Amino acid sequence: MEALYLFILVIFLLLVGVPIAVSLGLSSILFLLVYSDSSLASVAQTLFSSFEGHYTLLAIPFFILASSFMSTGGVAKRIIRFSIACVGHFHGGLAIAGVFSCMMFAALSGSSPATVVAIGSIVIAAMRKVGYSKDFAAGVICNAGTLGILIPPSIVMVVYAAATDVSVGRMFLAGVIPGLLAGSMLMVAIYFYARFKGMPRGEWAGWSEVFSAARGASWGLFLVVIILGGIYGGYFTPTEAAAVASVYAFIVSVFIYRDMGPLKTVAGQAPLSLRQHPQALITAWFHPDTRETLYEAGRLSVTLLFIIANALILKHVLTDEQIPQTIANAMLAAGMGPIMFLVMVNVILLIGGQFMEPSGLIVIVAPLVFPIAIELGIDPIHLGIIMVVNMEIGMITPPVGLNLFVTSGVAGMSMMRVVKAATPWLGILFIFLILVTYIPALSTALPTYFMGPEVIIR
Amino acid sequence: MSTHAQIKLNFGDRLERNFIALLLGLMTMITFINVVIRKLQEMDFWRSDWFAPWAEPLSTFGLQSLETTVFLFAWLGIVGTAYMVRIKGQLGVDVAINYLSPGWRKLAALFAVCACLLYTLLLLKGSWDYWAPFANLPPTEGRIWPEGFRERYLSQGYYEVNDIVMPAWGQFLADWFNDGEDYEKIPRFIPYFALPLGMTMLLWRYLRVAVDVMQGKANMIIASHEAEELVDQAASLADKE
Repeated sequence: MEALYLFILVIFLLLVGVPIAVSLGLSSILFLLVYSDSSLASVAQTLFSSFEGHYTLLAIPFFILASSFMSTGGVAKRIIRFSIACVGHFHGGLAIAGVFSCMMFAALSGSSPATVVAIGSIVIAAMRKVGYSKDFAAGVICNAGTLGILIPPSIVMVVYAAATDVSVGRMFLAGVIPGLLAGSMLMVAIYFYARFKGMPRGEWAGWSEVFSAARGASWGLFLVVIILGGIYGGYFTPTEAAAVASVYAFIVSVFIYRDMGPLKTVAGQAPLSLRQHPQALITAWFHPDTRETLYEAGRLSVTLLFIIANALILKHVLTDEQIPQTIANAMLAAGMGPIMFLVMVNVILLIGGQFMEPSGLIVIVAPLVFPIAIELGIDPIHLGIIMVVNMEIGMITPPVGLNLFVTSGVAGMSMMRVVKAATPWLGILFIFLILVTYIPALSTALPTYFMGPEVIIR
Repeated sequence: MSTHAQIKLNFGDRLERNFIALLLGLMTMITFINVVIRKLQEMDFWRSDWFAPWAEPLSTFGLQSLETTVFLFAWLGIVGTAYMVRIKGQLGVDVAINYLSPGWRKLAALFAVCACLLYTLLLLKGSWDYWAPFANLPPTEGRIWPEGFRERYLSQGYYEVNDIVMPAWGQFLADWFNDGEDYEKIPRFIPYFALPLGMTMLLWRYLRVAVDVMQGKANMIIASHEAEELVDQAASLADKE
């Protein structure tokens, strides 16, 4: 009963417009003051140890930073060139290339809106030029952009891992097959739709273009090798991988692509070489572009981290009061099975995802749902992937579809028009969600193969 | 970027922005260098004689790096939040309040600010109570509201962190907080100071926001999603075409 008051208070505060972090923190503090004898000092300690004791969470600012350098560093246009060289000659080639670019960019960045901005701002304009309708272009990119949180690295996955103490490495591996599957489903659907509608196809530019485009994009794409290879080769932890990726992304964008930093020149001119401007080796670290990128990444990190830290206070309360266990027992007593439970999780997340930003929702729902899922014998990794896919769908359903906002900004269209444009492709993601929910092997096969079966500690 | 247009940056803003950028940059570099050091340690030349003068300081750096990063991380998260309040960048849910009439909206915003102030005040007391003993200062009396300072309490100025070594120039703190006995590692009240500092700054920011709301300069204290700025940028790019 007390738990009910807690959740009603959280939801009430959220709806009145209190920031997510404060809603979670204040509700937990009030609950502790009324129903337990914890002191305020211990709450402050919990807040501090959310940062001190969760080394996993450190990966979040680092991944955000790597992706910020990659977005400003012009890797997007090189990836797009490579995609067009590969698949541009099919029917609907540019749209397929757009999805392909989103998949590749998703492998560099852990965020969906960042993916839509980076790829969408170039591809949507290009698609319009060769005669696609604006709505088709926007709809495709809006959907494909959601892959950002499914294809590793993914910030939402790190949040899930930190909230439930599963391994980030496993979560990343688990996202690979579903990510490729979702991307392929979208591409195949576009191909048939384009055949049917007789959409324009590009010229096959030859293998030389493929190779030269691949060379341009390879510097950026090598980041994937560093992150995934580094983690699974046992060279470093996910957090360290993220830090190394940030430094690598900085060097590539400042010294190799030179689209930012001291070696950048006015648009249209070739960038300076290091020999012409050797002092860049030192000035690059303090250049205004570098500082701005660090600040932007820091801003997003602080916002997310303060929410997570407060959610961890809430988690503390839930664990202390054994609330998830109570709910789980009630559900088991009512004869509810794993399938029914997963459907319920799907519904809660789909509804919640329409109103709330993904990391915030995951960090609230995960600590509550996770212990119940374990009781019911659901694989924690599988549950994580289901939650991520739900978040993807939440991003393209109104009213707070993150990707809808971003796409309407990028394409210069009204929200309503973007919603209409995105809806047909939403169906594919729904089919995908059902596949992922009922075929656990899609998510668990790869991590089990590489890292052995999951050990569940109750 | 759009933030430049929205608020004019004064000295304090630039300070806080650079503070956030600096902390993130330091965390990244320290973690990166630690990885490099660890890889070097696995190589043969690490143990050779000519490398010995380098090996020791590098190992010392490596040992301290994890804890340093974690404390910088806490400072980023706790002290950095105040600036998010200033730029109204804290995430929230705006679906319901968007349907309210302007009058009710103002009321909702006022209520929200009050909730934030209550949260900050409670945590400020908690932060002080937690931090003060580490700095040999008295925690406050009372469970919810401070009712004067406690007369008897345990001074814990001698508590040190686990790994970060106290530099020689910092030993004057030993005279102040540790009866002149040198610290081997830095004392705990230094990293934990993030709590009272961060909460004081947060309190100040929320008070400013409360004034803004009362004067009608702001009718919402949250951003509905993390990408609002990205969208603005993208839209301004689209306009140019």
